[in-house]
Amino acid sequence: MPADGGPENSGLSELLDLSVPADSEAIASVVDAVTVTLERLEVPEQKRFEVALAVQEALANAVIHGCGNDPSKKVRCQLKGDPLGRILISVTDPGPGFKPDLVADPLRREGVYADHGRGVYLIRQLMDEVHFASNGSEIRMWKY
Amino acid sequence: MDINVRKRSQVQVIQLRGALRMGPAVDSLRQTLEEAIGNGDTRIVMNLSEVPMVDSSGIGLLVRFLAVIKQHGGNLKLAQPSKFAVQTLRLVGVLKLFEIFDNDDAAVESFS
Repeated sequence: MPADGGPENSGLSELLDLSVPADSEAIASVVDAVTVTLERLEVPEQKRFEVALAVQEALANAVIHGCGNDPSKKVRCQLKGDPLGRILISVTDPGPGFKPDLVADPLRREGVYADHGRGVYLIRQLMDEVHFASNGSEIRMWKY
Repeated sequence: MDINVRKRSQVQVIQLRGALRMGPAVDSLRQTLEEAIGNGDTRIVMNLSEVPMVDSSGIGLLVRFLAVIKQHGGNLKLAQPSKFAVQTLRLVGVLKLFEIFDNDDAAVESFS
């Protein structure tokens, strides 16, 4: 098992490696590029949806929290896959990171009408394995 | 995202087309809802049939305005939400907050 606690990365091929400015329109283009790549690989629609939304959330967190909405900074998204259909996505930002274990549970009653705080929870629901590296400034998400 | 607003029987029907996600889509919908509330229109139906993705920013907007509109004595009801919109709202535990209808007509009539 690799140092980050994720599954073995051997056998994975790089499908996308994009670095874009930290703004919402740029990350939308990355999400769309991920979706098109998965369509080309004939990944089923449900799986494409779940991966695309997780990527959207990870990139949004990177832009807001990792880059402070500063478009002069960049976020990086890497997409890898293997012949078994496993998908690994890494999103990296230049920020100081965060402690994912301190993210509040959005399902608690007082949080249900909150207008933020659901991104990491959604990612964990959508993906099969989620690991944080570099103090939280990199997220690695697996879909099987 | 395309946002089309029309009024039917004193109800604002907002038809969305495209992903409801952080950035221009969420900003435009926020402006639309603020204008509606500012004009006293707090009976709102939002058609999500052509919304293939709702991210956490979009969810936050919907639940926040649901609360605000209810404080004004109105309601924000959903019509024809797409399969993936329903899945996402359910995943984060907010689907149950909304009244959901199969079509615009049923949602509009529910206000009368």
